[in-house]
Parts: sequence; C-alpha cells; structure tokens
Amino acid sequence: MNSKSKNILRGVILLIYLLIMALVIYGIAAIFSYLNTGADRSSMLHTEIKQVEQYLPKFNWEPINNEGRPIDEQTLNSIENDYLDAWYVKHIAYKTNSIVGIDDYYTESARLNIFNIIDVNTKNRVSIDGITLSHSPNLEFFSEDGQMVVLTDNNVIEYKRIFKGEQLISEVNEISTYKVTLLLEDGFWRIRHLVKINSEFYNPETISKPLGISTIKGTNYYPQDTPWNMFGDDFNRSIIAQDFKLINSSGLNSIRIFVPYEDFGKSRVKTEKLEKLIEVLDLAEQNNLKVLITLFDFYGDYSVIDWSLTQFHATTVINSIKNHKALLGWDIKNEPNLDFESRGKSLVLAWLDKMIDHVKSLDPNHPVTIGWSNTKSASLLNEKLDFISFHYYEDLANLPELYTSIKTKIKTKPIIITEYGLSSYNGFWNPFGDSDKDQANYHNNIQTIFEANDIQFMSWTLYDFTEIPKEVVGRLPWRKNAQKHFGFIDKNGAKKASFAYISSSKE
Amino acid sequence: MIKSIYISLFVFILICLVSIQTKSLEDSYVLKSNKSEFIAGEHVQLEFGYNTDSDVMLYCSNSYGSILLDPEISAKILKFNIPDSISKKSGVLNWKLIAKTNNLQGSINVKPKPSIKSLESYLGPPSIEAGGTDYTMLVVIPTDDLDNPMADSTKVQIKHQFLNNEISDTVSTLHGFTYKTINSYKESGRILISSECLDLNSKEYDVNVMPAIPTNFTIKAERIHNYADGNQITTFKTSQIIDRFNNVVSDGTFVTFFITDQNGNKTQTYGSTINGIATAKMLHPDHEEQWSVKAYIEGMANSETITLGFKQAISNFEAALSDDNRTITVGPLQSFMKQRVPDGLFITLSIYKNKVLVNEIQEQSYNGMANFYLSEDEYSNGSYHLEIETAGLSKTLTNITYE
Repeated sequence: MNSKSKNILRGVILLIYLLIMALVIYGIAAIFSYLNTGADRSSMLHTEIKQVEQYLPKFNWEPINNEGRPIDEQTLNSIENDYLDAWYVKHIAYKTNSIVGIDDYYTESARLNIFNIIDVNTKNRVSIDGITLSHSPNLEFFSEDGQMVVLTDNNVIEYKRIFKGEQLISEVNEISTYKVTLLLEDGFWRIRHLVKINSEFYNPETISKPLGISTIKGTNYYPQDTPWNMFGDDFNRSIIAQDFKLINSSGLNSIRIFVPYEDFGKSRVKTEKLEKLIEVLDLAEQNNLKVLITLFDFYGDYSVIDWSLTQFHATTVINSIKNHKALLGWDIKNEPNLDFESRGKSLVLAWLDKMIDHVKSLDPNHPVTIGWSNTKSASLLNEKLDFISFHYYEDLANLPELYTSIKTKIKTKPIIITEYGLSSYNGFWNPFGDSDKDQANYHNNIQTIFEANDIQFMSWTLYDFTEIPKEVVGRLPWRKNAQKHFGFIDKNGAKKASFAYISSSKE
Repeated sequence: MIKSIYISLFVFILICLVSIQTKSLEDSYVLKSNKSEFIAGEHVQLEFGYNTDSDVMLYCSNSYGSILLDPEISAKILKFNIPDSISKKSGVLNWKLIAKTNNLQGSINVKPKPSIKSLESYLGPPSIEAGGTDYTMLVVIPTDDLDNPMADSTKVQIKHQFLNNEISDTVSTLHGFTYKTINSYKESGRILISSECLDLNSKEYDVNVMPAIPTNFTIKAERIHNYADGNQITTFKTSQIIDRFNNVVSDGTFVTFFITDQNGNKTQTYGSTINGIATAKMLHPDHEEQWSVKAYIEGMANSETITLGFKQAISNFEAALSDDNRTITVGPLQSFMKQRVPDGLFITLSIYKNKVLVNEIQEQSYNGMANFYLSEDEYSNGSYHLEIETAGLSKTLTNITYE
C-alpha cells in the first residue's frame, strides 16, 4: 500500500470519526433538550379558568324572602350554578346510564336513588335523553350557619325522549314542582332531598299571531361583498343603506336576513353583533322595509342537552330586537328539513317545536315560521306556526298545483315562498346552464304565477356573489359557481335582465 | 201508545249499549287499579284491561328520574310492577301508558312513612356571643327509614339546657324540615341542645356561649425599682377584663400596650389574657425618662393612660485618655448604689474634626468599663474634639491633638 492511498484511508477514517462524533453529540444534545422541555411553568398553578357553559335553562329566582339567614348574591349564584349542574349531570347519567359526576352534586344517600334508576334502566336497556327548559325556584330557607338551603323549584318544564335500545319509544313533556334540600359539602351545594310535589304532562297552547303586513313582496338579503358574513368586520352601514334604498325603490317591502348561531357567539351572544343587527333593522325601518329574521343559521347539533344553550341564544337575540318596528317575524331556522337525515326527523322536529314555544313565550307579538326547503315538508308543525313558508327551486310548471295542495291542507294561515330563484351560470362547470335571459324569463313567469295565485314571495337573492363560503354549498366548484349567479344584479353592479321582474307589476 | 213508549225505550237502551260498546272499543285500555295514594315502601302495581294489542309500555317517573316498564300479561290484564326502588321515594309518581292508540296517563301520590327512622340535625354556628342577641340555629330533618323527609306538620321538640334553665319548644316541619333559633343568655358558658320527634331522640349537641366584647379596663405597672438602669424589666398588668354582662373575656384576648416616651417615640408590647388578665413586659430605659402607657384591645376596648417615671441611675462618669491620647477609657460607670452597672450599657463616642462629625463608635460596658481606641491610620494628625454619651449624660474632650 503506497503512502498516497494510506493518506486517503487516514482521511476517510478521520472523516468517519468526525461524523460519528457529530452524530453522538447531536443525539445527546437532542435527548438533553427533550428532557428540559416540559409543561409551561405558568401552568403549574392551574390559574386558567376553563369554564364551559353547558346548561342554561331559563332560571328566575322568585323574589327573595327566605326564612333564616339573609342570603347574599354570591351564595345565591353558587347555589344556582351547583343546582343546575346537578340537573345537568343527572341528564347525562340517565342518557348514558353511567354515574359520572353524580357524586359531586348529590349527597351520599341521595345519589343512591339515581343509581337505583340507572340500574333499572340498564337492565331494561332504556335510556332517557332529557333536559329541563325552565326553573322558577323560590328560596324557602337558608340556615344560620350557611350550610343548608331549602328551595321550591316551581314549574320545572322537563322534556324527555325515552329510548329502548336505539329505538325512540316516546317523548314526554312535563311541568313539575320540586322541593329541594341542598347541603354545602366539600364546597359543593349537593342535593340531599328531592321531592316532586306536583307534576303534570304539559302541552302549552300556542296562540296564533297574524302577519304584520298584508302582502309580503321581498327578497333575501346579503351585502354583495359579504355574503353569509353580514355582521363581520366588513360590516358597512352605507352599503346596506344603499341596498335597502334600492330594494324599496324596486317595489319590494321586505327582506329576509340570517342570524348565524356560532358567529353570534352561541349561548353568549356578542353585543357587537347584536348592535350591528339592530343597525340593520334601523336602516330597514328608515327605508320602509320589514325584516324577517332567520335564527340559528348554520346550527346543526339539535341534541337535547344542547337545547338550553340554543334557547338562551334565542332569548338574548329576541329580547334585544323584539320591539323593533322593522321586525316582520321570526323564521326559526333555514331549511331544517335538510337535517332530518343526519340528525333524525323526530329530534329536529322536537327541537323546532320547543323553539317555537320558546320564541312565542319571549315575543308574543310577532309571527313565527320555519323556512322549509321544499313543498313536501311545508306542512310540518303548521298547527304551531303563524304562517307557512317554504322554498321553491323546482320546475315552475308544478308550482300552482303544489301551492294549491298546501293551501287546501292549511286553510287558515298565510303561505309564503321565502326563497326561489334561478342561477344564470353557464360557464366551464356547466356549459349548458341558464343564461341571463333564461333567468329573466323564469322571474317573469314566476311573477305571473304569483299574481294568478295571489302568492306572497321573497326571492333569492339581490346580488350575484363572488365568494361563497364552503359551509353553504360545499367545495364543489359547479355548486359554488351556480350559487354565485342567483342575483338580480351582477358582480359588477349592473342590473341583470331579471331585475325587471324583481317585484310584481301590480301595486 | 204504551207500545210505542216501550219501543222507543228499547231503541234508546240499544243506542246506549251500542255507544258504550263503541266507546270501550276505542278506549281499548282501561285502568283497573284505582288506588292513587300509597305509602312509601308499599308495592305499587298498575293494572290495565285491554282488548287486542298488548304491545305497550309504561313510562313512570318519580322524584329522581324516569323508567320504562314492560307489562306482565295475563288474561286480558296488563300488569306493571313498579320497582320498589322507584316507589319507595315520596312524591308524585307520574305514569303514562305508551300504546299505539290513546295514551292513558295519570299520577300516584307516594306519601312518606308515618314512622320515623332518623333525625338529621344541623347545628350552627357552634359558638355564639353572650348577651341574648346572638343565636344559634338547630335544623332538623326527620326522615323515615326509606330516607324520605317526613310529611309536613310533623311535630318536633327542640330542647336545650343552660345553667338552671331547661326549655323545650315544639315546632312543626314545613318543606320537609324544621328549625329553631336558640338565643344566648347573659352568662357565658355552654348550651346543650337536643331534639325529639315521634319518640325518637337525637344525640346531644353543644354550643359555646362566648363572652361578649370586652369593656374598658385599667392597667398597672410593676417594677423592682424606679431607676433607669437599662437592665431591669417593668411588667404591665391589666385588671380582669370583663364584658358588659360581667363575663370574663375569653383566654387569649390580645392586649397591646402602647408606651410613649418624653420625646413622643412609641414602643409597643403585647400580651394575651389568662383568666381576663393580660401581662406584658418592657426593659427599663437607660436614662431618666417618663412613660405614658395605654393598653388597647384593638377595636373593642382600652385602658386609661398611666404615667411611669424613671430616675437617673448613673449620676456621673469618668473618661480618661492614655496611650498618646489614642485610647479613651470610660468608667467606672456607677449606678444608684455606687455599684458598677450591669454589662451591656451603651456608650457612644462621637469624633469631630474641625466641627465636622467624622465617626461615631458604640461600645457596651463590661464590668462598668468601656474602651475606645482611635487608630493612627484612621485618625491622622490634627486636632479632634470627642464627645462621649451614656445614660443620658455626656462628656466632651476638646482639642485632642495627634502628632
């Protein structure tokens, strides 16, 4: 072996050695730095508050006039929280037939009663999905040492869905009064005694409310640049004012707008959103437009335990605008029948049914409807609604017949088509789609049908849009593009041919 | 005529029968059991007569929850046995027959048993103030052996004993419980409380009646002599502190003594009461002094001010220079009987050069003497002016020169 190749060999060995050392050092460093990472020191004290609101039924203390020690606000609040949590864990326990959380809210002897019921239900494969929607407790007594309270919970409205295995057996609605004894143990107000002193099956009567205006001629409204995000950061008062002026001058008298559930802050409605909503109503009033408010847009949970949260949301929204002059009425939810398949028809209908009662209890002065997506569902719950509304995107030829058939079924209530329209999209994704001319024809024809049958209407929609959020029609481009072209005014702000037929010719 | 009446009567009866018949056909389930009030623990059975369809279930809900039951079927009777664990709880028991046609519904009232098993008692607060305005409260929940609160209007005797009083009050339950407030008496002590319901007696509970807040008191000082020797200790004592009902205040009542000297400087010392008397101590001053002492029980009571004079114990002292004037010997320091002062008396030496304070050195006496040494390194050549202070006395050595 000559010296040159020896040197090469030496060099290679040296390089390999350096490489191995580098890897070893890197490896030790990696282990060392891994062992030095861990929980953030600030998390050591658990100072963060992770409170999730999960149960918010209507809860109003009767005027406080208790025997024993005078109660303070803070104690009253903690009693309220723990008492409602006790109901919440009980609902969860009966729904799942498990005992998680019961120990925290029921004393040792009281919890046995719940365990007994869970045993019976587990044996019979029964589960009960329930909720209470209203409590009006009266504080009877607060002991001098601050360790015991007695209250009478009046008119507790309970709703239960009773399942045997997977099958829904019955729905029960009860109104009951309970005597409750609570003890302060380990910092929890725990239920010691619960005695139902009165209980009836409950069917609230709904009082029908006529429509505030004689003939609805309207359109669904979103600002052109912020469709499905009307109350976001790009909220622009002057654009909305201009649009309302245009709508009014084109011969329409009403609009339909949407209050998205999550965007508005779910159970804790954000005030800034409400302020914007009130501003929209003010502008509508200035332009002589009536507004149909569609609640719960993009809500899709419906599970019974969630009802108290949705009702709380409705309470806040409705109480803040129910006296507004521009308010036409409440559309409980847009096209809830589309959720029948995924969430179960009976569950969705039950939610709607209770929500109608709730909305009517909050605002007895405005009519209530549900914007069904088709004529087939249009007669559902009609006995509880003040007017019937459905959406029509099918063949115009069948409309007079379908409308008449609903009209004969529901004689006494107004029936309104709150969405209809035709997309004028014909492009790459649908080369044989309808043209602007076809759209104009469609609107001309449908107006003729409306006039002939005396149908009240709200069209879809004022503008063509440039962006459609995926939540609306999904991600598929042919659907998105179709949805962009339903307007009477195109994306450049020019009136399309259909604009001539935005309203009926007769006044 | 009569014939026609008979015929019409017959027709009428026939119509009635037919109508009854059709009614019962529609009404295919009939509740057979008509008892709607039960005592907790009794077996509850609901029986329904039926015609054709026995595929029904019974929804049933008590105070705590709901269940669903399948029937026992026997000879045109549907029997539902409500489990004992459900029917043993008092309150309204709702039921609903779930059938394809007409859902019968109703309710049963389950009353608590008339016999008692336990008296759940809650007593609080556990200590109250003497004087008759403060009170404690006994809450009693009488329950039957199935843990149901007894029916309202159950009588409960609440008894208590204090000194020579033995009192029994009768109260009745409402909302499943009853309570009695028991006021304190003028004297402090212990109230024993018990309750009785339907011949069942509770155990004994007690409540401490604490003395009320203290009233103003007097203080005195005790000392072995009145010289300001900086060594002996003065003991302050309160009189026996009592509340306005002559109860001696609780042991451990905290008393603060504020001492104000001639110059307005304040010093405090503390003591807690034992049998109403608090003591606290303070070292004598080392120079002639006059103390004003006042004691407080913060926010509640205080004493009058007493004054305490201390006579000068050291009348004079010597200071001598030696070792090229660099060593200063102070003493012997002699106390009131010419005895040497106990060790630890402070002597301060202030050194001035050109009327400017250069340093201040403090020493403690040992065997009545103290030495200062001014080193050459620190105090260079020049003329110094020395001032020695102890026990409120001072001595000046002027024009000390170092070379």
